[in-house]
Amino acid sequence: MSGRRTAALPTPVALLFLLPAAALFGIFVLYPMATALTYSLFSWRGTAQEAFVGLDNFVALFTTEPYRSQLPRAFAHNALLFAGAMVVQNSVGLLLAYVLHRRERVRRLFQVLYTMPYLVSPLVVGYLWSLLLSPLFGPVNAALRALGLGSVAQPWLGDPDTALWVVVLVTAWQWVGFPLLIYGAALGSLDPTMEEAAMLDGATSRQRFWHVTLPMLLPVIGTVSVLTFIFSMEAFPIPYALGGSNGSPAGATDVMSLLFYRTAFNSGASNAIGISSAVAIVLFVVIVGVSVLFTRWFRKVERGLT
Amino acid sequence: MNRRTTLAGVTTAVVALTLAACAPTSGSPEPGTAAGEGCDGEPVALDVWSWRTEDVKTYEQIFDVFEQANPCITVNFQAHLNTEYDQILRTGLTGSDGPDVAQVRSYGLLQPLVEGGNLEPLEDLVPALGDFDDAILDGARGREDGAVYGVPLASQTIQVYYNTAIFEENGLEEPETWDDFMAINDKLLGADVTPLAVGARDGWFVPTVHDALTAAQYGGADFQQALRDGDTDFTDPGYVDSIQTLKDLQKYMPEDVTGVAYTDAQVLFTSEQAAMFAGGSYELAFFQEANPDLDLGVFQVPPPPGSALDHPVTAGYADGSWGLSATTEHPQEAETLLNWLATPEFGQLVADELKQFSPIPGVEYSDPLQQEMWDLYQENPAPYLLLVDYRYGDPVGTDLMGEAGQKLFLGDVDAEGAAQIVQDGLSAWWTPGE
Repeated sequence: MSGRRTAALPTPVALLFLLPAAALFGIFVLYPMATALTYSLFSWRGTAQEAFVGLDNFVALFTTEPYRSQLPRAFAHNALLFAGAMVVQNSVGLLLAYVLHRRERVRRLFQVLYTMPYLVSPLVVGYLWSLLLSPLFGPVNAALRALGLGSVAQPWLGDPDTALWVVVLVTAWQWVGFPLLIYGAALGSLDPTMEEAAMLDGATSRQRFWHVTLPMLLPVIGTVSVLTFIFSMEAFPIPYALGGSNGSPAGATDVMSLLFYRTAFNSGASNAIGISSAVAIVLFVVIVGVSVLFTRWFRKVERGLT
Repeated sequence: MNRRTTLAGVTTAVVALTLAACAPTSGSPEPGTAAGEGCDGEPVALDVWSWRTEDVKTYEQIFDVFEQANPCITVNFQAHLNTEYDQILRTGLTGSDGPDVAQVRSYGLLQPLVEGGNLEPLEDLVPALGDFDDAILDGARGREDGAVYGVPLASQTIQVYYNTAIFEENGLEEPETWDDFMAINDKLLGADVTPLAVGARDGWFVPTVHDALTAAQYGGADFQQALRDGDTDFTDPGYVDSIQTLKDLQKYMPEDVTGVAYTDAQVLFTSEQAAMFAGGSYELAFFQEANPDLDLGVFQVPPPPGSALDHPVTAGYADGSWGLSATTEHPQEAETLLNWLATPEFGQLVADELKQFSPIPGVEYSDPLQQEMWDLYQENPAPYLLLVDYRYGDPVGTDLMGEAGQKLFLGDVDAEGAAQIVQDGLSAWWTPGE
């Protein structure tokens, strides 16, 4: 964006201030990360590390059952969670932010309301919704039947065709406040004269949104998209609460983190640590790789617009 | 903003990765400091770990009995969250701040600790192990060397509970034959009572229900032996038939059973909206607490015509044992404790105070229902097959049956297809006869 600014502090002093954070980052982030990487390169007998096996754990992950079929399935579900979050959570978030932007009096109230679910642990949110959606005692189906919509009532979490979308919607219900806040802040920082100029030129409100506001929001949309991607790939508590560690029903809500959890802590296999570390590394590589590629591509698109 | 976004992305991803790093680090609370009164030697504190956070108070009382008899030993009992226990224990046993004695899982989930050399074999240290039932000791054996690595703590049995009041209202009695059992189901269905409280949304519950209803049909311990000998596999017609029976009984379960959670099924039964519950002995305490007015009975499901066995069975399994850390600094005191944990005195405390089945010979149960479940198991025991023999690899048998059963209930596969899912999944690490 804008040109580089000169640092306020001389470089050595700045580095000195950065040191404590860097040390903490190294101990608590880089070290475990390197450990996971080395774990994935060894074979294990229970908790005992054995021989160096190079990429064998990764080869096993892609060529032997159950991983060969579970890995792509879990990955596809993560991708659908991302697509769902983009369509539901982020577009609704943008719409709400845009609607609230003009309504100063109620904006704060609704921002608070929409971000409230944030404050609740996602596990709790998941269990709460699994109770609400219970086909026996859940108020959701009861309400539908009371409204004469009994045919719409479903075993929401018991049907593989609906279960994953329930995960998408529950996730959106909890996190819609996140795009709402970011887009709200971005809208507030836009130069109002641009829109005024468009208005004077006779642009309708829809034209002003599509051709003036939206392009100016593009950098923020990029940020939100990348963060959404990361959250979607790492989804764990809500799928766990809604479908258990096996992604019930019949694996319909299985995601990468659950696959990792199962192979690491719920498996009787001798080499559980080796394989599960390989799962974690694959997930890490995908997240970093796609995030970097996407950001680069987005930067290019932005440049094309200016 | 873009560089910052990338950085944020990388940072978050890195944090995710730390999940993976179950690196052996220390993280246990400090050991107990209370020195025993009346001890004329050096007082020693033993760290004992457990996953039963709900039983901490009871265990402390139980260990008071031990401490009185052994004034030089203090037991410092610590419970960790059940769902995180395995991870914490693995870390603890490989580090320096681990327990001296710990509750360990049974069968397959015990193996990582045995293979890692974290536990000591106990047969020489605890002579009383020789008196235990062999099938129960299997739960504490190392897969490769066959040595016993734990003093069995509890056993569970799987049977059908029923609501005696509902049975009486409808003029029903415990079934003697398969036809009786089906007649009970039909009668209850006609009376608008859910006959079988089952929730199949929790995959782990499906194999429990399957064995409670059909273990005698596929042959119980005989089928287990045939699999061990390599004479058959899970596509065996008898096993397929037993899965078909499960499907046939679906009409007596709640509608949309794959959407019904295990806890929903519990509530259905304790709120007296359902008449029967196929489940483990571990349910009893919960049922009695959730609805003290509930009048309960138990029975074994009689086998249908053409079954492998001509008598009903109760499936059971060993549920946890006490292991000795290979790195304990107090091996002698730990040995004293482990020997006490194998005495009828401790077993009786487990039965009376914890309401669990103790596999220690000579224990008696004050709760008549508990005694009945235990007697039924003693008369006709069977293994909870997929848990007992098929949790030694990835995927585990109970998970496979969970998924296969869900597909069966959804109509995605037939009984043969469900058996095939179990067989195909297990074939990743198991060959019949090995």
